[in-house]
Amino acid sequence: MRTNNLSLFELNNLVRGVLELELSSMYWIVAETSDVRKNQNGHCYLELIQRDSSARSIIAKARAMIWSNTFSLLKPYFEETTQQRFSSGLKILIQVSISFHELYGYSLTIHDIDPSYTLGDQAKKRAEIVKQLDEDGVLLLNKELPIPQPLQRLAIISSPTAAGYEDFCHQLHSNVFHFVFYDKLFPATMQGEQTENSVLNALDKIYQFKDLFDAVVIIRGGGATSELSSFDSYLLASSCAQFPLPIFVGIGHDRDQTVLDIVANTSAKTPTAVAEFIINENLSQWNLINTTASRIKEISEKRFNHDFLTLKKIQMATSLMLKQKMQEQLINLQWYKKTIEKTCFFTLSREEDQVANAVESLANHAQSAFKQANLLLDSMQKNIELQSPENLLKKGYTYILKDQKLIKNKRDLKIGDEIETVFHDGTINSVIK
Amino acid sequence: MAKKEENSYGKAMNELQTLMNEIESNQLDIDQLMNKVKRASELIKFCKKQLTKTNEDIQKVLDELDKE
Repeated sequence: MRTNNLSLFELNNLVRGVLELELSSMYWIVAETSDVRKNQNGHCYLELIQRDSSARSIIAKARAMIWSNTFSLLKPYFEETTQQRFSSGLKILIQVSISFHELYGYSLTIHDIDPSYTLGDQAKKRAEIVKQLDEDGVLLLNKELPIPQPLQRLAIISSPTAAGYEDFCHQLHSNVFHFVFYDKLFPATMQGEQTENSVLNALDKIYQFKDLFDAVVIIRGGGATSELSSFDSYLLASSCAQFPLPIFVGIGHDRDQTVLDIVANTSAKTPTAVAEFIINENLSQWNLINTTASRIKEISEKRFNHDFLTLKKIQMATSLMLKQKMQEQLINLQWYKKTIEKTCFFTLSREEDQVANAVESLANHAQSAFKQANLLLDSMQKNIELQSPENLLKKGYTYILKDQKLIKNKRDLKIGDEIETVFHDGTINSVIK
Repeated sequence: MAKKEENSYGKAMNELQTLMNEIESNQLDIDQLMNKVKRASELIKFCKKQLTKTNEDIQKVLDELDKE
């Protein structure tokens, strides 16, 4: 019979003692979370597991807990850094202490966490998904979709209660440029485990009406515990990448982009930024239209001015030419007038002179003719006087009258005629014997 | 119907671009220029209207999607 037996408690206590003695107080380990739960005292209880390289079977396991005072610091720190809710299925790097309790057995207490490991792991997973999408040939499909113009009809995937959705709509519909938008909400859960399915369903529904929309908008408000891991889903990313409408994403990521951000046509940090993007697209169009209008106005004004100027120049040149011609003609006319005047004057003068000369000459001639006639008359008179019977009678001539008729011939007288013989101092009557 | 709306804006912008090129080429006579400027003006007005005036029909169609 054995006498050297221990009680179970003693054995467990022994193990506990050895462990407490032999092993340093803290270890940094990597493990995967499982079955994470929080009790009403604020303590967090979970299982830590390790899978084999195929990730199918579990090769190590340990219970773990985080005291509430630690957890209240650790949780926000972790979630803020990783943008990920502290939940099951995460690979974490934690500082643990080993405890072995006689009753509760082996467990680990978590004191600290290094979120960058999880980030790194997330980033790795993300990179893998991206690589897969690339190999599938779908990675850039949505990015390569041209954005329809005008960008007005939007299918919105969001939670109706999310502040992000309300802000988004308000911003769109009260934009300062008065651009109009038409939107339809396709409600979905935007966080937690149901996110992936919910969003995929919404996408399916939108797909049926894809001709009624210009783009899909996936938005949700940000927050300290934004938990974006749902958007690192291969299935969701693949669907979005291949969706026939451009997808604009504003799910409130802070640092890293989720796979959804990477695959979307356009990704922005917040729903507000997405709204801004959409409004700016319209603004670009508006500016393009205005620029075109200005340009056309400028060119046609230039052209009209140019033509108007040309016409004006022609008008002025014509007017000027006309004036010049008129001046020339005026000068010509004046010259003609002067010349005519001069010529007339000369001609008239000359004629006047000629007339004067003629008159004078006529007078002279008349005078001399007159004189000559006078002389002739005088001489004729003298001759006549000389020839006058008185003179002749005086000279001793007589004439004979018979019956008062002058007798010139002897024969005219017969004997016995009574004649009258006229002497200068009287008559004598005689008879012829 | 909504698709047609979209296309007409696109068509209008394309036509506007073509007109702009023709006007810029400076090879038009005054009559042609006037006509093209007039047409461009119409297109500009149309496009601007698309961006800023609500088309009741579009919103109605979207609202009725709930009933399907």
